[in-house]
Amino acid sequence: MSRRRLFWSAASTRRTVQAVFLLLFLGLVVVARPVPETQPSLLLKSFFWIDPLIMVATWLAAHAVPAAALLSLVVVVGTLVLGRVFCGWVCPLGTVHAMAGRFFDRWWPKSKRRDHSSPWQLTKYYLLVGLLVMAVFGVHWVCVWDPIVLFYRSTTVALMPAVQWAVEEGSTAIYQADPGIGPVHVTGVTEPVYEFMRDHVFVVPQQAFLGSWLILVFFVMIVLANGYRRRFWCRYLCPLGALLGILARWPMLRRTVSEDACNQCDLCAKGCHGAASEAAGSRWKPSECFGCLNCTGACSRGAIDFRWTWPWRRQPAAGSIDLSKRAVLGAMLGGLIGLPLMRAGRQSRGGTFHPKLIRPPGSRGEREFLKRCTACGLCMKICPTGGLQPVLTEAGLEGLWTPRLVPRIGYCDYTCNLCGQVCPTEAITPLSVEAKQQVKIGLASFDTTRCIPYAYGRDCMVCEEHCPIPDKAIYFLEIEVQDHDGNRKQIKQPHVDPGRCIGCGVCESVCPLKDRPGVSVFSANETRNPDNQPILPEQDPY
Amino acid sequence: MSKHSRRDFMVRTAAAGMLTLGADHLLAQEGESKKPGDMAIARWTGAKRLTARQIDRIAAQLTEKAIEGIGGLKRFVSRGDVVWVKPNIGWDRTPELAADTNPSVVATIVRLCFDAGAKTVKVGDNPCDLAAKTYKSSGIADAVRPLGAKVVFLDRSRFRETAIRGERVKTIPTCPEILDSDLVINVPVAKHHGLAKATLCMKNYMGVIENRRSFHQDIPTCVADLTRFMKPQVCILDAMRVLTAHGPKGGNPADVQLKTTVAAGVDIVALDALGAELLGMKPADIGSIVKGQEVGLGKMDYRSLAPRQIAVS
Repeated sequence: MSRRRLFWSAASTRRTVQAVFLLLFLGLVVVARPVPETQPSLLLKSFFWIDPLIMVATWLAAHAVPAAALLSLVVVVGTLVLGRVFCGWVCPLGTVHAMAGRFFDRWWPKSKRRDHSSPWQLTKYYLLVGLLVMAVFGVHWVCVWDPIVLFYRSTTVALMPAVQWAVEEGSTAIYQADPGIGPVHVTGVTEPVYEFMRDHVFVVPQQAFLGSWLILVFFVMIVLANGYRRRFWCRYLCPLGALLGILARWPMLRRTVSEDACNQCDLCAKGCHGAASEAAGSRWKPSECFGCLNCTGACSRGAIDFRWTWPWRRQPAAGSIDLSKRAVLGAMLGGLIGLPLMRAGRQSRGGTFHPKLIRPPGSRGEREFLKRCTACGLCMKICPTGGLQPVLTEAGLEGLWTPRLVPRIGYCDYTCNLCGQVCPTEAITPLSVEAKQQVKIGLASFDTTRCIPYAYGRDCMVCEEHCPIPDKAIYFLEIEVQDHDGNRKQIKQPHVDPGRCIGCGVCESVCPLKDRPGVSVFSANETRNPDNQPILPEQDPY
Repeated sequence: MSKHSRRDFMVRTAAAGMLTLGADHLLAQEGESKKPGDMAIARWTGAKRLTARQIDRIAAQLTEKAIEGIGGLKRFVSRGDVVWVKPNIGWDRTPELAADTNPSVVATIVRLCFDAGAKTVKVGDNPCDLAAKTYKSSGIADAVRPLGAKVVFLDRSRFRETAIRGERVKTIPTCPEILDSDLVINVPVAKHHGLAKATLCMKNYMGVIENRRSFHQDIPTCVADLTRFMKPQVCILDAMRVLTAHGPKGGNPADVQLKTTVAAGVDIVALDALGAELLGMKPADIGSIVKGQEVGLGKMDYRSLAPRQIAVS
């Protein structure tokens, strides 16, 4: 009778499925690497394409979505039929929270105190409403908090670099000390592991991201919040959870409790992931239920079952979300108030351009870019030089964690077009390598107080050597200089040809001055923003 | 490392023993062998218009002939040796653009190394562009892997700060795997260079080190320092296609000239002088060649070595 006695419970099936999706997600993060002469797999974008929140928000903001994002209709239909099973069975961030919840349940039982649904769980709906109202006016910010985006970004920017640091520093320390007994050396184990990780997992040596600490702190906070309430993020905050909750109002698979068998022991609520019931033996809220099936296993009397029904049937009864009209209107108003607050920044008004906001090649104009970019970090993950970095302040609040090129860390490789190929929302348009080589992302400029031939009267020209333009965007003029002792000599001073420079940043990247380079790339002349083009073109390229 | 030290020790002991036993005899023999083949230049004298495929085939032929002309690789490779073939794999460009050594030249050398008894042949460079892409687009990785060579990506975190004791370069991070090899075969491509005017054999050693950007402030001296440290034994200069402008990275097919020449030799300065002439420059205008002769690395007047001229058609 008791389902708990079964060797292979429903919850075990669910955990297996969750593990599979989590490993799939992490596997797709790991394999998002540049492989020479290979196009990246479309599968890299699969989790973003099945995410209905990205589809809805991008469509609201940009009035356009990549056709593949319609795959998310599978999740929409799945939710209409089965309820929020995406949250309980598929979402990789949800699985991380479920694992953290299990850990805290065992070691910190306080987290069990709140088993029944709380009005605070409505927070996520109000947040979603407010943010979607902003999306209607082109603020795509809700996607920054989408769980798939959030987890991808945290893994790419914070977790993977931490793993890489440990492997690189650990194996290098062992390599240098080379401990061992006789012919047996520890490096016999550590070096093959390191070499495998270097060749098949890491993208660039010593990869790290600017401002990753903030992304890490946020991620750690939402994981630790499971100690306060199990699946805190999913219950109270997750905007995708809220969207699916609205869709799961009248699912076809519904929980029934047999009145005769139920003795109101409330064991079912003890293991409930979503806090979906209001009180012992009382109404079940499908919008809060993740379909984790812990309740059916927990019931010692076998009183709980999930049964099929039609959406228009009111039986078995399903508790409503209980949104307050007043609060929904408040949330909409909040979104309307948030909109000007968010847009009131100087750059949002146009006409002002941050000199170091160098967007990846193929990026749309700033306003259109922000209507699409989710800040997921996929472009940063696959960038072969590691130069794409999350923005902290350079693009305003709206542009938080969106990508920019930091040439000091890594330049834009001349024969690479991967960022546009992998962008799930086409904020960076996919371009052929030939087309990408025509796109200007910025303009180099020499700091004559730093550049070695200007400031110190010596030859250098490392920048010219690396300039990838076949006819060189950096050229030199021979001039005569006189040193301290009065010796005269000819040296070569570099200059930028603004018509040819595409702003790839390799000059800044290789400049021997490592603290403050003698040549830097700024966003001027970027193809995507016509207002930011001070240089008159030599001739019309089209 | 211990393996290397032991091998080093044995070689030195043996050398010392032989010197004491039969120094006169040995020196006499060496003097004799020097005359016929310390440098050989193999040139294609056939048709001028060639397809990429034909160029590859001719490159293999010329490489064989040039190496034959200096007595074959057996002269340098001992049975069981670990040989490092050091091409120029500097830039993410295809072979037609002549920014990297011709893959067919490199592959032929790998084959001849194995024929001469090498146990392991490793091929690698420290590219300026992204290593994985550069190895691929240069065609070198795909050309040498089927022959059994080990394609090695130099790992900058495994480099060792090494004493060079040069005029300007005192210490520099070097790749230990290259230095620990029994023989390094230097296989550059002759190219124009914006600052150094030309990049040839001597400058090709810059792919063995890191922190090389400051070298540009005095390329001749730094390159001579490095060459003296590397003690070149044999170099093979690829001048099949030469880049005559916008070097060393190039990228414009119009800057590439077909010279269909491969030269081999033991005098690195002489080979560089030949390379400079093939690029249409005077050897005396190239700082590193002048400096190389000055510090005794070789002779700028390569004709005085009576190089063996081999015409292939």
